Amino acid sequence: MNAAAGLDFASISERVQSEVQRAIQRSIKGVEYFSTSGPSLGSTPKDILAVRGTMNLYHYRPVADEIYRVPILIVMATTNRGYILDMVPGQSFIEFLLKRGYDVYMLDWTAPKPEEKSLRMEDYVLDFIPDCVRRVQQDSGEKDVSIIGYCFGGVLSLLYGSIFHDGPMKNLICFTTPIDFREMKLFQNFSDRRYFDVDRLVDSVGNVPPEMILSSFEMLRPASRTVSQVQLWENIWNDEYVKAYRMMDRWGTDTLPLAGEYFRAITKDLMWDNKLYNDTMSVGGRAAELSSIKVPILHAVAEHDHIVPYDAAKHLIMKVGSTDKEEVMLKGGHVSLVAGANAIKRLWPKLDSWLGKRST
Amino acid sequence: MADKGNDPAVIWQTMIGEMEKGFNAFANQAMSSPEFSKAMNQVGGATAGAQKQLGELMEKYLLAMNLPSRAQLVGMAERLQSIESQLNEIKALLHQVHRNSLAPEGGYGATPRPPRTKRPPSEGEQK
Repeated sequence: MNAAAGLDFASISERVQSEVQRAIQRSIKGVEYFSTSGPSLGSTPKDILAVRGTMNLYHYRPVADEIYRVPILIVMATTNRGYILDMVPGQSFIEFLLKRGYDVYMLDWTAPKPEEKSLRMEDYVLDFIPDCVRRVQQDSGEKDVSIIGYCFGGVLSLLYGSIFHDGPMKNLICFTTPIDFREMKLFQNFSDRRYFDVDRLVDSVGNVPPEMILSSFEMLRPASRTVSQVQLWENIWNDEYVKAYRMMDRWGTDTLPLAGEYFRAITKDLMWDNKLYNDTMSVGGRAAELSSIKVPILHAVAEHDHIVPYDAAKHLIMKVGSTDKEEVMLKGGHVSLVAGANAIKRLWPKLDSWLGKRST
Repeated sequence: MADKGNDPAVIWQTMIGEMEKGFNAFANQAMSSPEFSKAMNQVGGATAGAQKQLGELMEKYLLAMNLPSRAQLVGMAERLQSIESQLNEIKALLHQVHRNSLAPEGGYGATPRPPRTKRPPSEGEQK
C-alpha cells in the first residue's frame, strides 16, 4: 500500500540521513567560508607589457609547442576586471586559448584615478586600443592581430575597427555586444534624459562610483542576489559549488568606476542618441560606421542575457560590411556565456573552430 | 530513490526559483515606468548632493580634531597605487629592455617562444 502511494521508507530514511549530514556539513563549512579567502583568480602566468593610467596590457606565456601566426588581443569591458576570462585552472578561457595554440594578450583596466575623470571616449578608442595593438605587433613580430571584445569591450573594439578599418585587425570576435541601446530597456529608463542629469552627476562626483554601476546591474534582477545567497547556504556543503560561487561573486562585485567624461559620452551618444545604431557615431571627429568593418567577424550572444538582451545585439552582424560574418546564439546568460561550465562546453570550442582557421 | 516530484528539497528549490523569476519580472515591470525613473533620479540627485555636503562637513570636523579625512586617506592610497603602477611600468620597461638586448634585431624577443607555424586541425580532428 505504501509502495502504491509512492512512499519508500528506505529512501526516505536515506534522504533524512543525507539531509542531517548536509546540515552538519553546512555548519562546519559555513564557519570555514567566513574564515578563508576564495580561490586565487587570474593566475595564468603572464608578463605586464605596459601600464599607463587605467590601461594594462598583459601577455600570457604560451604553453603550446607551436602557436598560430596571428596573436589575439582581448579587450575587456571597462566596468569589470579581466580575470573573468582567467578564473582558475580548468575554468580559464585564457588557459584554454593557450593550450589550443593561440598567442594571447589582454587589454585590462584598473580603476581610473580622480585625476583621470577627464578620460574621454577618444582616449580609449584612439589611444589605448591602438597603443596596445602596436605593442602586440611589436612584441609578437606580426602585423596582423585578432581582437576579441567582451560586452562594452566589444563596443570599443567595434569603434576601433570602424575607424581603423584599413588597420592591422585581421579578425574580430565580439561577445554579447550591444549595438541598439534603445533595446536595453531598463538602462534606458534609468538614464531617461528627462530625469537623469548626467552633467550634474559627472560634474559633482568626477568618476562614476563603482557602487552606482554595480547597483544598476543588480537592479536588473533585484531578487537574484538574495536568492543566490539562499542557494549558497543550501549548497555550502558542496565545495565545488562554493568555489564557483565565490569566483563569480568576487568578480561580480569587483566593479570598476567609470571615468566621468567617458560615462558622459556613453550616456549622451549611445544611451540617448543611439549613434552607433544610427550610423552617426564619431570619436574625436572621426566617423565610426559599422559598415566600414570588412574583416571576418563572429558575434556570440547569449540566449538569456539580461544585461544585453538579444534585441540590443542582433543588428551587429547585419550592419558590419564584412562578407565573412557569423552570429552564434548559445544557451546561457551574460557571464555564463564566457565563463563557467556552460562556456567550456559551448562558446570556447566554437570560438576555437572559428578562429583557428583564420589565424594562420 | 524518492520520486523527484515528492522530494521536499526539489519542491523548495523550484519554489525559490519561481519566486525569484516572479519577483524579478514584477520589479522589472515597475522599474520600466517613467515615474520610477523620475523618482530614482530625484533620490539619486538628492543623495549625491547630500553626500557631498555631509562630506564637506565631516572634513571640517576631522580637520578640527587633527585627524585625516577619508579623502586624505583615499589620496594616500592613490599615491601608493600610483607608485605601484610606476614600479610596474619600470618593471615592464626593464623586461622589454632585457628582451631587446637578447634579441638579434630588436622586435621579437629572444626569450624562446614557440614557432608560429600552427595549422588548424582538419575538420575530422576537431571535436
